[in-house]
Amino acid sequence: MGFFRSFSKAFFDELGTIKSSTYLFGLLTWIPLLVYVLIVLIFHQGLLREMPIAVVDNDRSELSRRVSFMLDASSSLHVSHKTQTLLEASSLLRQSKVYGIIVIPPHFERNIYLKSQPKIEVMLNSQYILIGKSLNAAISTSLQTLAAQIDVVKNLAHTERFESAISSAIPIGLQVTPFFNTSQSYFPFLVSAIIPAIWQVFIVIAAIASIGMVFKRKEEEKLFEDGNITATLLGKSFPYTVAFLLQGVLFLLYMYVYLPFGFEGSFAVTIFAMLLSVIAYQGIGLFLFVVGFDYARALSLGAVYTAPAFAFLGITFPRSDMPSFAQFWNDMLPIAHYMKIQIAQANYGASVIDMLPILLSIALFFLVWPLVIFRFKKRLERV
Amino acid sequence: MSFLEVFRSEAKRIFTDIALILTIIGGVILYSFFYPQPYANEVVSSLHVSIVDLDKSDVSRRIIFELDASPKIVVTRQDLSEKAAKDALVSGEIKGIIVIPKDFKRDTLLQAQPTIAIGADASYFLIFGSVVQGAVQAILTESAKVKITSLLKNAQPISAATKAYTPFSLHVSTLFNPQESYVQYVVPAVFILILQQTLLMGLGILGGGINEQRPQGYQKMPTWMLMLSRVLIFGSIYLLHTLFYFGFSFELFHITHLANPFELLTFALPFVLATTFLGIAFGALLPYREMATPIVLFGSLPLVFSAGFVWPLEAMPDFIILLALFFPSTPAIEGFLQLNQMGSPFGEVMHHFGLLYLQVIFYGLLAYYLVSKKKKLL
Repeated sequence: MGFFRSFSKAFFDELGTIKSSTYLFGLLTWIPLLVYVLIVLIFHQGLLREMPIAVVDNDRSELSRRVSFMLDASSSLHVSHKTQTLLEASSLLRQSKVYGIIVIPPHFERNIYLKSQPKIEVMLNSQYILIGKSLNAAISTSLQTLAAQIDVVKNLAHTERFESAISSAIPIGLQVTPFFNTSQSYFPFLVSAIIPAIWQVFIVIAAIASIGMVFKRKEEEKLFEDGNITATLLGKSFPYTVAFLLQGVLFLLYMYVYLPFGFEGSFAVTIFAMLLSVIAYQGIGLFLFVVGFDYARALSLGAVYTAPAFAFLGITFPRSDMPSFAQFWNDMLPIAHYMKIQIAQANYGASVIDMLPILLSIALFFLVWPLVIFRFKKRLERV
Repeated sequence: MSFLEVFRSEAKRIFTDIALILTIIGGVILYSFFYPQPYANEVVSSLHVSIVDLDKSDVSRRIIFELDASPKIVVTRQDLSEKAAKDALVSGEIKGIIVIPKDFKRDTLLQAQPTIAIGADASYFLIFGSVVQGAVQAILTESAKVKITSLLKNAQPISAATKAYTPFSLHVSTLFNPQESYVQYVVPAVFILILQQTLLMGLGILGGGINEQRPQGYQKMPTWMLMLSRVLIFGSIYLLHTLFYFGFSFELFHITHLANPFELLTFALPFVLATTFLGIAFGALLPYREMATPIVLFGSLPLVFSAGFVWPLEAMPDFIILLALFFPSTPAIEGFLQLNQMGSPFGEVMHHFGLLYLQVIFYGLLAYYLVSKKKKLL
């Protein structure tokens, strides 16, 4: 039989199998969608709002109450506890009932007027780095605003001009501009990387399930009966290629068209990178299967390969700071290359030419396909 | 049938299944070395930034010096225009840009409050935080100096001038993970999830296999004997794993471990028990063994992110928090982090401990019911 006939026969047979198997059908449709939706819901709020903190006010003056008030006024903070002692507050901190403690020293107000510069202690729970960093920024901003306000009032006593009172309170202004993720929300940062990391798990697992079931039922000879192994494998994989590419496109549309996170570059290049990634991962899934032609073991290998991918992506922790083994492993994951393209296109609007080497590195994973086909040939000859 | 016979048959079933052993022993040990790898250097080191100095005065040079001296930032480039710097940012050569405006020195002397712009690549959010933090600190230091100088000009003695540059000072300390080490941040929590997920996979492979193969004599084995055998086998393996993870691996990756081994084991016991019962119930529901690994795998990332250590519970919808409470990993992560990373006395984790025991009862009964029911159908 010709290549195309073998391909299309395998393709339509597989469509039939998917239709009749609730499990395979689920793997391609509602199970991944459910997981993506869960992730979206977890991070939906995007910003940290009203995070609980504790204030230990040892001064109880008008000014120390202003400190609490200023903190509470910040949209990121909420003074949920006012405790008598630091001991009580630190117990709350350990139990994650608050994420930070602000200690106002005794005689705070008096010392400000005496110009002896009292010190406010801020203690943050840095076990939770993301939360700790956000709180650090919010608390520093609130308290520096308060410091400037006190200063302006004091300066106004000496000068008539309000502007000059302000500028001598803060001699150098600061303007922080986030490039590329202007919303400053955690949502695009985390969700745009977590979903592709989950996506690759599904591609590999579905590839293993599709071939694994055939071997489990001992139907491999029937599958390859026309002898054209390459065409059959490609045809059998094609429905999955289409389904996962569709999921990827839906994800891009949701993130960058439906939600207002701008997309600077080319959708076409990004979608093409997705297509290459799907084919690469399908090959890898099959490769893990032909290692031992054992369905359950291939799944265990697939789990080991795909599950930790998010940590190795280099999004939460930069690749350049990883030790060499982790950098190597980052290179061994098509999704890590894909993410570079997604970020470069979505955020930087990088030129297509610049993407070529990265596209090529995804395409390099296609080299597993000949290996897979060779192993199947050997295996079928033996039978 | 005696308990010893049941135990022996279950042990044989478990230890002769390569995929199962690969998951609950091979996988667990492999992950302990593999998973912490990206974070093994612990902290984000210095980040490369470019300075666009449009002022070129001694004051602007002082700021550049100050920036370079900050531990989080290295000035690797100086660009003539913002555009050139931005191109370098896109190509990944630098992660941030700091622009010192024209006439900066003059404006500081005129007290016209010039503004320094800090721009950083927010595609990598935590990198962004580090660049900004480093730059802001450096500039505030310089800002303070400018202020002291201007106060000195108004003929204030230097001691008064230094103190008056800001009405009060702020001292920020970071507790429990002072270096902001990523290993310490991610690994303890993820390890607990790895223990839970591999245990569920193992029991799922076992249960699904039984449902599919309908082994002879299985029907006659009393449910409580089957469950007790599995609890003894999986439980002892996983308590050993817990000691290995929290002892050996934590030591290897320099992770704080404040809790004593006795407290850890006391807390680990209901976690392992609840997970074992959940796994037995899960296995009884699976039509065949190959479904176990994928289902558990798909749940992993949602469970990590709903556990509250990356993203706070305060920012999550209530039903997600509620859903997550049904999994032993949720109270276990919070409890272990408190005991081991933050040094809580055991009293402070009692509610997590209690929830784990509630799960033990709930999943114990559920597992008993499902295994008994399934046995009749086989």
